[in-house]
Amino acid sequence: MAGEEVDWRQAERTQLRRLRLVSLLEGMTLIVLICLAVPLKHLAGYPAATAIVGPIHGVAFLIYLWMVISTVSSGDWPRGEIVRLIVVAFIPFGAFMNMRLLQRREDALVVAPAPAGERRS
Amino acid sequence: MTYLLIKALHLAAVITWIGGMLVLSLLLTSLSPTAGARSRDETRLINRARAWDGRVTTPAMLLVWILGLVMALDAKWFAAPWLWVKLIIVVMLSAVHGIQSGTLRRLANNRPQTPPAFLRFAAPLILAAITVIAILAIAKPL
Repeated sequence: MAGEEVDWRQAERTQLRRLRLVSLLEGMTLIVLICLAVPLKHLAGYPAATAIVGPIHGVAFLIYLWMVISTVSSGDWPRGEIVRLIVVAFIPFGAFMNMRLLQRREDALVVAPAPAGERRS
Repeated sequence: MTYLLIKALHLAAVITWIGGMLVLSLLLTSLSPTAGARSRDETRLINRARAWDGRVTTPAMLLVWILGLVMALDAKWFAAPWLWVKLIIVVMLSAVHGIQSGTLRRLANNRPQTPPAFLRFAAPLILAAITVIAILAIAKPL
C-alpha cells in the first residue's frame, strides 16, 4: 500500500512538472506575440510576424488549457486555484506567477522520509 | 494536392481522437469507482487505456488542432461563422477529453474517484457534437 501511495504521488508530480513546462511555453509564446510580433506588424509594417506567431500561440494556449483541465480533474484542487490557473494564461508574464503555485503543489506531494527509528533494516 | 493531403490527415486524426474518446466514455461508466472493488483485469484495462490515451488519442487531438488550423488559415475561413461554431464545439470536445483523461489518471493511481456525473452522457454528447461538426464542415450552412 505504501508503494501505491508513493506511485500516485510520483504520477501527480510528473503531471505537475509537465503542466509547468507547458505553462512556460504558453507564456513565452504570448510574450513573443505581444512584445515582438505585434510591434513588428504595426510599427514596422511586417504582418507576417503575427501571422506566424499567432497560430503558434493559439496551439500553445489550447495545449495549456487542456493540460489544466486534465490536471485538475485528477487531483483535489480548490476552485480559486483552478480559476487562477486559467486567468494567468490571458496575462502577459502570468505564466511566471504559475511557477510558484505549481512548484508548491509539487513540493506538497513529496513524501517525507520515515524517521530513522521507524525504518526497517 | 497539399490541401487534400492535409485534409486526409486531419480526418484520420479526427477518427482516431473521437474513437479514443468513445472508448474512454464506455470505460469510465463501466469501472468500479473504488480501488478495493477492482479486479486485476480491470486494473490492467485501466493501465492499457491510459497508455493508449497518452500515446495515441491525445497526440491525435493535437494533430486535429494543428492541421485544422493550417487548413483554416490556408483557405481563409476565419471570417466564416460556421468555422467559429465548429471551433467552439471542438474546444468543448477537447475539454471533455481533458476531464476523461484526468479521471482515468486518478483511477490508474488507485485513488477513490466518482467520475463527474455528466461523463455518463459523454458518448451521446460526443456523437452529437461530431455530427454537428460534420454538417458544419461539409455543408457549411452558416
